[in-house]
Amino acid sequence: MEKNLDRVMEELLNKPGVYGCVFADHQGLCLGVKGKASTDSAGVIGAIAEQAAKLEPKSKMPIIHLENDNKACIIHRTGTVTGAVFKNVHG
Amino acid sequence: MVEEVRKCLQDLLMKVNGLYCILITDRDGVPLLKVGSEKAPEHAMRPNFISTFGLAIDQGSKLGLGKTSTLICSYSQFQVIQMNKLPLIVTFITSDSCNTGHVLALEKQLNPIISELTLAVAEL
Repeated sequence: MEKNLDRVMEELLNKPGVYGCVFADHQGLCLGVKGKASTDSAGVIGAIAEQAAKLEPKSKMPIIHLENDNKACIIHRTGTVTGAVFKNVHG
Repeated sequence: MVEEVRKCLQDLLMKVNGLYCILITDRDGVPLLKVGSEKAPEHAMRPNFISTFGLAIDQGSKLGLGKTSTLICSYSQFQVIQMNKLPLIVTFITSDSCNTGHVLALEKQLNPIISELTLAVAEL
């Protein structure tokens, strides 16, 4: 059933720098996780996407990019599914 | 100590959208701590409702999946999320559209509070 999602996550992990990804449904429950990411973050990721969308309610769903010196987390919601990608960035 | 814990729970309540109430009770559903807004349904906070969690986890353990840790009941207007911290039960009452995963993620933040309360209860 989740073969497609598994394939997408596998493809994501093969992209340069990506070391983890997690997907959550509209209730913040984890749909899938691969690499160095935790199922516990699914709820928080859903909440971040929801709160960020409130900044510009009339615009499309935003892409949220959180970054520190060497790592980044990119969050985006499409429909009911929220995805987060964790990657290494080389400054 | 109670005031500190209450403030901590109040902070958690603010963090999650649609979370109406956090209840910490003993296994019989008798409240030790209650933090919540007026939106929380009174009848869902009664001991006779909360104590059914004990029966539910007994049945759940028969599935052979190990100890039941969390129970999520989703109703048309509310969600009731209960965590097994026996001898204590933690109950969250939320709106139907509340982010369930976010509430579940609160568990880690609650653990130190729960262990402190468990000690206090054990001393009684």
